[in-house]
Amino acid sequence: MIKPPILDLSVLAPIGFVAIGAMLVLIGEVLLSRRKTFLGREVTEAWIGSVLAMIAMFWLVLSLYVACVTFAAGTSSVFNPDHPMIQLDPFAALVTAVLALGALLSCALAIGYLAELRINHGEFYALILLSTSGMMLMVASIDMLTLFLGLELMSIPIYVLAGFDRRKLRSNESALKYFIIGSFASALLLYGMALLYGASGSTSFAAIGAALDASNSMAMIGLGLVLVGFAFKISAVPFHQWTPDVYEGAPSVVTAFMSVTVKVTAFATLLRMLTLAFGGTEETLSHVFWVLAALTIVVGNVMAVIQDNIKRLLAYSSIAHAGYLLIGFVTGTIAGYSAVMFYLVAYLFMNLGAFGVVVTLANHGQEFERMDSLAGLARRRPGLAAVMTLFMVSLAGIPGTVGFIAKFGLFAAAVNAGYVGLTILGVLMSVVSVYYYLRVPVLMYMHEPTMESETLGVSTGEGVVLAFCAVGVLFFGFFPNGDNLHLLDWARDSVRFLFGA
Amino acid sequence: MGELIDAHLLSMITFFPLGVGVLLLLSSGLSALVGGEGLPDPLWRALGFATTVITFLFSLRLFAAFTATETAYQFVEHAPWISDYGVNYFVGIDGISLMMVVMTTFLMPIALAASWTDIAKSVKSYVFFMLFLETGMLGAFVSLNLFQFYVFWEVMLIPMYFIIGIWGGPRRVYAAVKFFLFTMFGSLLMLVAILVVYYLSYQQTGVLGFDLVAPPGSDAPSLMDTLIPLTGQAVWWKTQFWLFAAFALAFAIKVPMVPFHTWLPDAHVEAPTAGSVILAGVLLKMGTYGFLRFGITLFPNASVELTPLLIGLALVGIVYGSLVAMVQGDIKKLVAYSSVAHLGFVMLGIFAFNVQGMTGGVLQMVNHGISTGALFLLVGMLYERRHTRMIEDFGGVAKPMPVYAACFGIVVMSSIGLPLLNGFVGEFLILLGTFLVYPLAAVIATSGVVLAAAYMLWMFRRVMFGPVEHPENRKLIDLGLREKLVMVTIIVPMFWIGLYPDPLLRRIEPAVIEIQRVMEARRVMPESQAAAEPVRAAAVWAPEARP
Repeated sequence: MIKPPILDLSVLAPIGFVAIGAMLVLIGEVLLSRRKTFLGREVTEAWIGSVLAMIAMFWLVLSLYVACVTFAAGTSSVFNPDHPMIQLDPFAALVTAVLALGALLSCALAIGYLAELRINHGEFYALILLSTSGMMLMVASIDMLTLFLGLELMSIPIYVLAGFDRRKLRSNESALKYFIIGSFASALLLYGMALLYGASGSTSFAAIGAALDASNSMAMIGLGLVLVGFAFKISAVPFHQWTPDVYEGAPSVVTAFMSVTVKVTAFATLLRMLTLAFGGTEETLSHVFWVLAALTIVVGNVMAVIQDNIKRLLAYSSIAHAGYLLIGFVTGTIAGYSAVMFYLVAYLFMNLGAFGVVVTLANHGQEFERMDSLAGLARRRPGLAAVMTLFMVSLAGIPGTVGFIAKFGLFAAAVNAGYVGLTILGVLMSVVSVYYYLRVPVLMYMHEPTMESETLGVSTGEGVVLAFCAVGVLFFGFFPNGDNLHLLDWARDSVRFLFGA
Repeated sequence: MGELIDAHLLSMITFFPLGVGVLLLLSSGLSALVGGEGLPDPLWRALGFATTVITFLFSLRLFAAFTATETAYQFVEHAPWISDYGVNYFVGIDGISLMMVVMTTFLMPIALAASWTDIAKSVKSYVFFMLFLETGMLGAFVSLNLFQFYVFWEVMLIPMYFIIGIWGGPRRVYAAVKFFLFTMFGSLLMLVAILVVYYLSYQQTGVLGFDLVAPPGSDAPSLMDTLIPLTGQAVWWKTQFWLFAAFALAFAIKVPMVPFHTWLPDAHVEAPTAGSVILAGVLLKMGTYGFLRFGITLFPNASVELTPLLIGLALVGIVYGSLVAMVQGDIKKLVAYSSVAHLGFVMLGIFAFNVQGMTGGVLQMVNHGISTGALFLLVGMLYERRHTRMIEDFGGVAKPMPVYAACFGIVVMSSIGLPLLNGFVGEFLILLGTFLVYPLAAVIATSGVVLAAAYMLWMFRRVMFGPVEHPENRKLIDLGLREKLVMVTIIVPMFWIGLYPDPLLRRIEPAVIEIQRVMEARRVMPESQAAAEPVRAAAVWAPEARP
């Protein structure tokens, strides 16, 4: 007699809500776009866009809520106890909440942007949601199979999104480039997984972890390939070349979305794999990460200096930030991993905010992404210039902002683990980063406007997102562990769970 | 009410300017939302000025309520902030901080008043940044938690950067970025050193904390209490050397000591008048203050060991700064280089490590703030009228502007240390203190006094006296009422300190003696280094184990 498996559907709730949302958005678009009027009012493209965004955001909020509740409860459960592959635990819940928040903010940013660029198609929100569900699946995976499933579900919609502005050559180029490189990375990852499976006889993280042993060359090659696959996703040097081109060509709102969420997902998944599957090889990996971190920090920061396109600048800055995050991996301590988690949340606020400003600047089907177009912005749009300055200051890691607390945590963990040299490299490169981040306020405040432009309002969605990010940057910059929002504690608790403490 | 104010006096003084600034900004933002214009520029200026005046009045209250004989920190406030990292909100002052606080709050309203007509564009942002800057500077002077100090130390760069970069001269962007990068470079290395100190202290006490001293009424281990037992070992000694080097680099850039001074002439020349006043008057003192509060007390052995180097650099600064000042054609640049020389005197006094020298150093910090601030004000007034600062464009200015010339004369005398004026007291004490320990250094430094008289008086003569060669100078208008008031306000303390420095010295001296006591207590003599227990040597640097 076959015993039916006892499935815990609640594990899938955050992922499921987002996926359901994606379906509803698709159905909604088909239904709405055929009608001339709805409930007595004329159906316009902009209106459809807003409604679909609302639907998407509703389901994201649900997912966010479930994730928060799960995190607060501190419980951990697997979908199918007989074959544990998906596990919703405090760690996954926290990352899921961050991802849902990132997607939510991106949707809010998109409403005005898509209308301005006249690419207001409902699929946008569906693709964002699908990709988000893939990310959530990935961070909840404790098995290579679901991990890969999540990875592809995350990546494929983003390939499409990168080319969403399909009349623009650069957007197409970006999509194709990302697709080819991404597939290449996936293939490497898959090959690595196959070798790990060969070495351990299982796809589950725990079984791989038990079988892994530094003297087994097949397993080590597999491990190396998996790491390379991830290095592509987090754009660690020397696997970073695609990043500036893709970030530049993709529509700004897509760049905002992917620069944050993909990074959060990849880093969080890597954290889980390191603790669960690759625990035995940490000493070796620490050297690998040391080199990766050092290279990434140096190349990212130095290359950012010579950019004259704000999106390329932010792309190189995101590479540099990946390098700082890798410092946490070098340490291999709870403090280091907690710092990574905190940094990811901080990064969400400051990077989404920075890209949010770029998104807000776009109007009349045009993007203003050359550095010169920022000149004199403080005169034309003082509020926008002020928040942009705040995000730049935070990305540079200057005290009073969340970026400082995040960097401080990482450097503190590194010093405590004895990596003073790497820390010194990190701070010296921070000085370089200050130079290019400051170029933005220099242009906005200290140069005369180079072009005439009418004063434009900020759309509601954009305004809310920018205000939210700015408040987040300042609030967590001063109170990283406030009375109600204990972000530091949360980050540490989630990582403690990974270590089984 | 009075008690409540006294209990939180330091916090009020520190955050009042920024608080008003944020409120002003909010009012402006809110009115923009409803389509209004917000408060008019003159009102912003007036409110900003009033805020700094009120802050100054508060700091006078602080000065009066300060107990001169008490060696412990006063007006202490202590509250947990980020308890995971052991970061507390911890403020308190001794005589040295008191001087810095009063000097800062005194110079701020003067700077704002002096830039009343000078700053015409973006007045609102200007007022906001000045208020922001004041909070940043005051916060750094009152912090007793190393993390908190670092936050203020860095945060104050931002408003200064904007003040130079937006309202500065033609090369303002270059100067602002250079200023920012130089300071950032030093302070980030200091951050690494702070982290190492933090974990060293953690390894010894098992408590994570950045508090410099234990808060009153508690015997929790602080940074000052720890680090002692290990002072003897060779490894720790090397660590202490590097830690002090990192701190010293950050402070030396800010002072600035030769060869880290190159940002200073650029920043000073390009900054608007008020920016130069604050930069010279207060920001440079951050460096010397940092040495006193953190550098020499946390790492007494290393600082004593490195004294010859620092004294040498200070002497180079004095002579080199004076010589370079002498050949400047631009009055503002001349004053900027004179700052390098003056700060060299301060460093000399501090590293004499005796009561006279250190007291003189602290007093000279105040003196330099007033005198050089006044010089920058005067240069700014001239620039506002003629839009040039080159000495060769002037000559005979005393004829059309007698009041101005009189003020300039007094300030120049104060700057070169004429008896009866403030500069004399400070320089005398410094030279006395230095002479007791390093007679040769004192002799070389004295040549700096002579050089200072030379370049200052030479410049004064070329600008003020002689025939009026340029016809534009004939129509120069003498100081107006606002400018006269500003100058009188800043000249009065020059005479006061020159004639009766006792109220200041009385408050500085116990603090200096206390610093010396702490240094001695935490310092391990070379002979006992050899006798240090071998057991502890192993526990010096043990990185955290992997879980």
